[in-house]
Amino acid sequence: MSNQSTSYYVNRRQQNWSRNQNTTRYVSAIKLGPVAHTVLVALMIIVLGLIYVTQATRTTGYDYEMQKIDSQIADYDQQKSELEIENTRLTALETVKNSSVAKEMTASTDTQYVQQ
Amino acid sequence: MKPAVLRHGSRSRILAAVILGIAAIFVIRLFYLQIIQHNHYVELAQSEQMTRERIPAKRGEIYAMSGESPVKMVLNETVYTVFVDPSVISDYSKVADVMKQVAGGNVRDGFEDLMKKTETRYQVIANKVTRLQADKIKEAGLKGIGFMAVSQRVYPEQSLASQVLGFVDTEGEGKYGLEGFENDELKGVDGRLETVTDVSDVPLTIGDRNVREAAKNGKNIVMSLDRNIQSHTEQALAAGLTRTGATRGSVLVMNPLNGQVLAMANLPTYNPGKYFEVNDAAAFNNGTISEPYEPGSDVKTFTMATGIDKGVVRASDTFNNTDTIKIEDRTIGNATKGHTGVISFQTALTFSLNTGFVTVAQRLGDGRSINRTARDTMYEYFHDRFRLGQLTGIELANEAKGIIISPDDPDGNAVRYSNMSFGQGLDATMVQVSGGFSAMINGGNYFKPTIIAGEMVDGTFKKEVAAQPLQSGVVTQSTSDQMRQMMQTARASSFGRTDKQGYNIGGKTGTSQVIRNGQYSDTETIGTYLGYGGAETPEYVIMVSVSGDNRQLQGARDALPIFTDISNWMIDYLKIQPKG
Repeated sequence: MSNQSTSYYVNRRQQNWSRNQNTTRYVSAIKLGPVAHTVLVALMIIVLGLIYVTQATRTTGYDYEMQKIDSQIADYDQQKSELEIENTRLTALETVKNSSVAKEMTASTDTQYVQQ
Repeated sequence: MKPAVLRHGSRSRILAAVILGIAAIFVIRLFYLQIIQHNHYVELAQSEQMTRERIPAKRGEIYAMSGESPVKMVLNETVYTVFVDPSVISDYSKVADVMKQVAGGNVRDGFEDLMKKTETRYQVIANKVTRLQADKIKEAGLKGIGFMAVSQRVYPEQSLASQVLGFVDTEGEGKYGLEGFENDELKGVDGRLETVTDVSDVPLTIGDRNVREAAKNGKNIVMSLDRNIQSHTEQALAAGLTRTGATRGSVLVMNPLNGQVLAMANLPTYNPGKYFEVNDAAAFNNGTISEPYEPGSDVKTFTMATGIDKGVVRASDTFNNTDTIKIEDRTIGNATKGHTGVISFQTALTFSLNTGFVTVAQRLGDGRSINRTARDTMYEYFHDRFRLGQLTGIELANEAKGIIISPDDPDGNAVRYSNMSFGQGLDATMVQVSGGFSAMINGGNYFKPTIIAGEMVDGTFKKEVAAQPLQSGVVTQSTSDQMRQMMQTARASSFGRTDKQGYNIGGKTGTSQVIRNGQYSDTETIGTYLGYGGAETPEYVIMVSVSGDNRQLQGARDALPIFTDISNWMIDYLKIQPKG
């Protein structure tokens, strides 16, 4: 059976201020000793520590993500740069002059202007 | 009575004292390490945890004009140097096969032997490998092979305008040309990254000492030089050298209305992408800005303009030509003889008679001698107004100043100034002569010669603000008009049939003696032609120079046809409509 004890008391002040009201105080049946207290405090510290570490690690996770995206950006930049170079090479005067289309072209005649 | 454990000399007290002593030692040591040596250990920790990296700035690109649009002339490309650690390679033949298949043209000679030098840890086996090649090599999963990214300049137009562009050396520094002059602007400013990294060198955001300063990329410069005019000018010059047997040549094409350089061609030339293959460093020099020389008869136009502007002579004025003229103890003669008697200064310009221009110099003084007044006037016009013998400030490396001897100098005597009147005894560069000539024919406005038209910002061409004359009133409008007419007449009388009809084209030939070992050489001359073209207003100025060791080259015979070729092409390219 429960050995919980319930005691009723009314202190003087309450007695004076709120008459005819009962006040109840529950007293836990579980008693914690100093070792249990220490363990509980240690557990709380560990839990808080874990929360801190989790949060700190989350930012590191973002760092890896950022690094990955930065790397992708650098790759795309390089590909863009390579395509620009290829485009410039293909449109260089020397390339154009030596193209098959240019070889088929004839020399231009003198420009004539019509007077109005 | 005290308990036994606390009694003096008891073992417990001794043990307590020992523990206390050890604890004290720990405390003192920790105090030393954590308090006194704090900064030292913080530095040690940071040096291990922190990574300091340079974020390289991207070197600015260089553009030229192609009509109204900028086109890229110089770009950046990332290539890779492939290296190996011979002590780590397990399968030499596989590495060799992959390298030959993927990057056969880039491997070093004898790279297979280099790979077997197991006493070394680093051997470069291939250079300038592209990203695609590098990716293929990586895919092969070879052991002991590594890649180092290197940025290099790319010149899609190869040797076009190479002396104008310059090149970038292995240290990343611009040399010669625009690369050399604008090196700081093109280079940009590197950024800085200081951060805590993990074992894989991934930057972490933890810590309060992280620094990340972004790199400031170099400026993308747009040159005023037109790619098409440059190409045609180089072709015309090359054809001219072949035709005349000259071994060196330079051509400068300038817009006389704003000082912008449209083309600068120099032969022999080189490919800036392969500058390291050049044996003679003279090929790097831009002859139009770096090689002052005696411009010869081209300068007669400056003497004539000075005389007209001072009101002492007109084209139709006459003088008595005897083919020689005596200045102090020297006798000056004409190269072209026979036009003796009373002749006009127009005739003197047409046939390039030295005596006519010495006479102009005399008329700037008292009419009989080239006195101090005449010399001061000539110096003022040549040096201060037309700016011969002064740096123009064009944005290219290694511009030479040249020299005009002042009348204050003991050498600035009448003999020198008589020589200067027909282009000897002074040193000037082609860009100086072209700049002064532009002022002479455009109404008297001197514009600073420039090669820069603007810059590219986020893919948009931002033009430089319209050029303002550095000096107005160099000569009067009337002088300018008369000089153009004189030069048109001079050209039309002898060479006009080769020009397109309906345009105002004028110019002056020049044949300069070369000084060798302090003496004028009898076996070597430089041929030049200085002229302009356009319809109602001059649209372009072209100066041509051809030379060669022990070659006697002439302005009319050797340089003028190159001018004509370019001039006729320019009229079509610029779509200049004929007069009237």
